[in-house]
Amino acid sequence: MTSLAVARNVLRRLLRDVRTLALIVVLPLFFVLLYGNSFSGSYSGLRVVVVDQDNGLASVRTAELGRITLEMNLASAFIDALDPDTFDVRLVEDEEAAIAAVGAGSWAAVVFPKSFSNAIVNEAVRAGGERKATFEGETVTLLPSDPLDAPSTVIVVDDSNPLLASAVLDGLDTAFAAVLETQRSTLDVDSLLDVRPLYDGRIRMLDFTAPGIIGFAMTLITVLLTAMAVVRERTGGTLTRILIAPVSAWQVTLGYTLAFSAIAAVQTAELFLASVLLFGVRFVGDPGIVALVVVLFAVGLQGIATLISTLSRNEAQAMQFVLFLLIPSIMLSGVFWPLETMPATIRPLSYAIPLTYANTALRKVMLTDAPLGELTFELAVLAAIAVVALGLSVFTMRRQAYSA
Amino acid sequence: MSAEQVVRATGLVKRFGRQTALDGLSLSVRQGQLYGLAGPNGAGKTTLIRTLCGLLRPDEGEAELLGWRMPSRRVRAQLGYMPQDFAVYDDLSVIQNLEFYGSLYALRRAQVRARADELLELVRLADRRRQRVGTLSGGMRRRVSLAISLLHRPRLAFLDEPTAGVDPKLRRSFWDHFNALAEQDVTLVVTTHLVEEAQRCGAVGFLMAGRLLTEGSPDEILAETGTSNLDDAFIVLQERGEDPT
Repeated sequence: MTSLAVARNVLRRLLRDVRTLALIVVLPLFFVLLYGNSFSGSYSGLRVVVVDQDNGLASVRTAELGRITLEMNLASAFIDALDPDTFDVRLVEDEEAAIAAVGAGSWAAVVFPKSFSNAIVNEAVRAGGERKATFEGETVTLLPSDPLDAPSTVIVVDDSNPLLASAVLDGLDTAFAAVLETQRSTLDVDSLLDVRPLYDGRIRMLDFTAPGIIGFAMTLITVLLTAMAVVRERTGGTLTRILIAPVSAWQVTLGYTLAFSAIAAVQTAELFLASVLLFGVRFVGDPGIVALVVVLFAVGLQGIATLISTLSRNEAQAMQFVLFLLIPSIMLSGVFWPLETMPATIRPLSYAIPLTYANTALRKVMLTDAPLGELTFELAVLAAIAVVALGLSVFTMRRQAYSA
Repeated sequence: MSAEQVVRATGLVKRFGRQTALDGLSLSVRQGQLYGLAGPNGAGKTTLIRTLCGLLRPDEGEAELLGWRMPSRRVRAQLGYMPQDFAVYDDLSVIQNLEFYGSLYALRRAQVRARADELLELVRLADRRRQRVGTLSGGMRRRVSLAISLLHRPRLAFLDEPTAGVDPKLRRSFWDHFNALAEQDVTLVVTTHLVEEAQRCGAVGFLMAGRLLTEGSPDEILAETGTSNLDDAFIVLQERGEDPT
């Protein structure tokens, strides 16, 4: 009976607090909606750059007419066969530019050689034996030619995300298979392709996820620590006492930022060191750039944490508000799977999460040694988040004293 | 506003939802006055102090401190505030608490140390200066809180229940100190739920349901009510308020 009394008391107190009650009800639903949407299992908008140098001609031997030239642009057929829901195909002329785009917004480059159609038709005939075709209104029998020394189709794939690289190659293979199917061939697709992983398979799934996990750990620790500390200052009355002294709200906010930045710096250094030393996580970039990303990210997080503390009457509420930041951060910021796998409806939410930018920036530096210039967008967004969040913190800091 | 009036409130109304905590309250306190705000719990003492200090915005009326309409940043350096809750850092020592708050008033470390010596002597915590505040009793923590609020020698101090939980002997020394400060031209507004305690003040305001029942010197209030002590005077005034006929 005593246990029941304790349980009843706990529930009564929870139910009396409307905000906590709302959080209790809304949080699980929020969680389910997020994972239901983020785990779509399919990819969309994967950018692939295609260089179509195929002349669209196939020179084949026939039983009836000797050697003839068939017109059949199989590279175009390949492009048409790519799933439009999965791939965002960009046609470019310059082979070098196409390959340079891989890892810089594009997941793969496909370069069709001039003799692509020719090679496919002849290899298909050789693999599948004789077959019929129509040429100028007549039915002709295609005969195998001598093996060709035709260049392969080059596919350069960004393998910084092994999961996604595999999905890209699967999608390209499917399109190639569809093209071969039109030639009624049992030809092995791989024999026609020269697949070149950008990082030679040196990036493991662990390397790909590490920057995001480190960023998530930073979010968790920094936001919780800051929000709890500010709520405790307020509920304990010390914040009121600070703000009634001749100090400005920005001085107080700056003080908090300095203190928690120092803590975040120590923790982040620990996270990076442990990841690299214990698990050999790839870190080929400039530590200075990583430090810049981390500082901007941490300052933004502290601003957000202070705002959370303003909304929270007590530490329990702050904790639940923090979850509203943490859950989307881990699910929607591209930590485990790229943003391209998320439905377009939920993607805007991803772009509203600071970790999305920190993760992208850290990943670029750690995995691909990206220079500062390649991070301009991410750094600008992180700086903007830091400025806005800190500005709002200063604004709400004095309100905290009023409402204490 | 007269130069001598350092606190002036006019028609203050403060509501929390449907509850009216301050109900058109007006008040004035002269410089160097030890003003006692007495009333039972829930009378509105803390709300009044917080409103005067600018921590709560009144729904109606206005307050001026040291000639500045509140809330104003200009008075903060001259303002002392002791909240009813302890508002001290339990995980810091007594002296660390004083040092931190002293730094907010731009006091140098040596100044804080010297001032801490005086104040900790007053609140009888000189031998506890290095002890963590969290390990002190409730009464001792309140005394730390009092020391903090007087640390920067404020011209005007609002002390919310500084004597709650303090033993009678120490309470008497507190009141002696408050009177000594008033003699040095420091203005103190001190709340207490022990009405009789207000006898030690130069001026007293009786607060009930967000309204001042009366204000004046203790002698004036006793004469007005024809009673011999402030407890009886409060009861008489309360009954008059309930039955205006």
